[in-house]
Amino acid sequence: MGERGTSHSVTVEVNGEKVSRIVAARQLLVHFLRDTLGLTGTHIGCDTGNCGACSVIVDGKLVKSCMILAPQVDGSTIETVESLAQDGALSPLQESFHEHHGLQCGYCTPGMLMSATYLLRQNPEPTDEEIRRGIRGNVCRCTGYVNIVEAIREASRGQATGRRSAHAAAGEEV
Amino acid sequence: MLLEQVEYVRPETVGDALEILASDDGAAPLAGGQSLVNVLKNRVASVDVLVDISRLAELSSIARTADGGLSIGACVTYDALDRSPEVRASHWILGDVAGHIEDQQIRNKGTIGGNCCLSDPTNNLPPILVALGAVMELRSRSGERSVPAADFFKGYFATALEPGELLVSITVPPMPEHSGAGYASLAVGADAKALVRAAARVTLDEGGTTIAESCLVLARVAHVPVRDAEAEARLSGADATEEAVRAACAGVADGMQPIADVHGSSEYRRQMAKVMARRAVVQAIAAARGSRNGSTAGGK
Repeated sequence: MGERGTSHSVTVEVNGEKVSRIVAARQLLVHFLRDTLGLTGTHIGCDTGNCGACSVIVDGKLVKSCMILAPQVDGSTIETVESLAQDGALSPLQESFHEHHGLQCGYCTPGMLMSATYLLRQNPEPTDEEIRRGIRGNVCRCTGYVNIVEAIREASRGQATGRRSAHAAAGEEV
Repeated sequence: MLLEQVEYVRPETVGDALEILASDDGAAPLAGGQSLVNVLKNRVASVDVLVDISRLAELSSIARTADGGLSIGACVTYDALDRSPEVRASHWILGDVAGHIEDQQIRNKGTIGGNCCLSDPTNNLPPILVALGAVMELRSRSGERSVPAADFFKGYFATALEPGELLVSITVPPMPEHSGAGYASLAVGADAKALVRAAARVTLDEGGTTIAESCLVLARVAHVPVRDAEAEARLSGADATEEAVRAACAGVADGMQPIADVHGSSEYRRQMAKVMARRAVVQAIAAARGSRNGSTAGGK
């Protein structure tokens, strides 16, 4: 049996890096990421599991990090929004949010990006309805969602055909 | 948000979990945590030690029973139910209901056991489990017992669980021949919390033209799922047509005093209960005839 107590040792792999920390049993995963590890890309909005701004991927599953205690993820692999860009280059999804103006204030964006990343892994070519269901747990109060859905749809097409990156590499209009 | 100071422990066996739950009044099982963590944040309830049962393999499996039913571990998530070929093969409706709970993040963490043990009257799974005749398998340090779902939900956030007892699995009996189930909710927005729900299971006669037997369960009319025995009696022997079902459901909830709250008056809920009941029964008939098209028969 794991030890019983108010503090626990937690070892996780976050964005490819293994880290160990002693945490309070009552610490939420979102605070572990933001305050303990300094990964402030994950936002905290409502703190009640409604807004989805804190969404991250734990062991391949999309979750809201304000609804999980840090000791619960011991031994897990965690992906946050910081994992999306590689060597300073935006991921195709991030690029699509940029191109299609899929944000205004940007507060919901880290959660939206993680939900969309998860959705496209499960379903590489979602319909608009599937996209809307995929981001149902993420609230945006700026955009009205239209541009976000468009950004995800266009990213899925780019991913499906590889056109975007291939044309971009050739310097052509996409 | 800072929770109250709390201890956490992750036992490696169900037996170890039961030991802690029995020996400490302040111990509470933590499964998906999608309600409990908020309860702790709001300090509505005080818990001394959280017993994390979510990784116990014994509680996380879906198995076929010898008679063709299902045995579903208490910690099976909504998403796992939704995606389970076993569930879809024999109890399609259960996967469909689970797959329309709130959002993907919650479906990835929330569990069937948690949904039942919280006994929040807005929860999706209790009414369909009652309609399907499910049985809750409870275990404590001193033994095991089985409680029909119809007797498990006792009230607002109250169940038949005794202190130190844990829901370990839910047994869902096989669907009888010529049977189907339906589920309809009145909600503002897809997959949202419902004002009224109805879940129905019907068995048709050999020819598929008459309703031989039915179970009609209403939710959010009372604090727990309730069967409408009078409507069931009217459905028995009725033609399996929309017209006949409409007539049989016209008196649904008439003898009840539906709850009233900011979302709807008692009278509004009574009227909508009739509509949801009719839709659920019509869906159940379609499913019994095997004419479901895979996307709409279950409804939300």
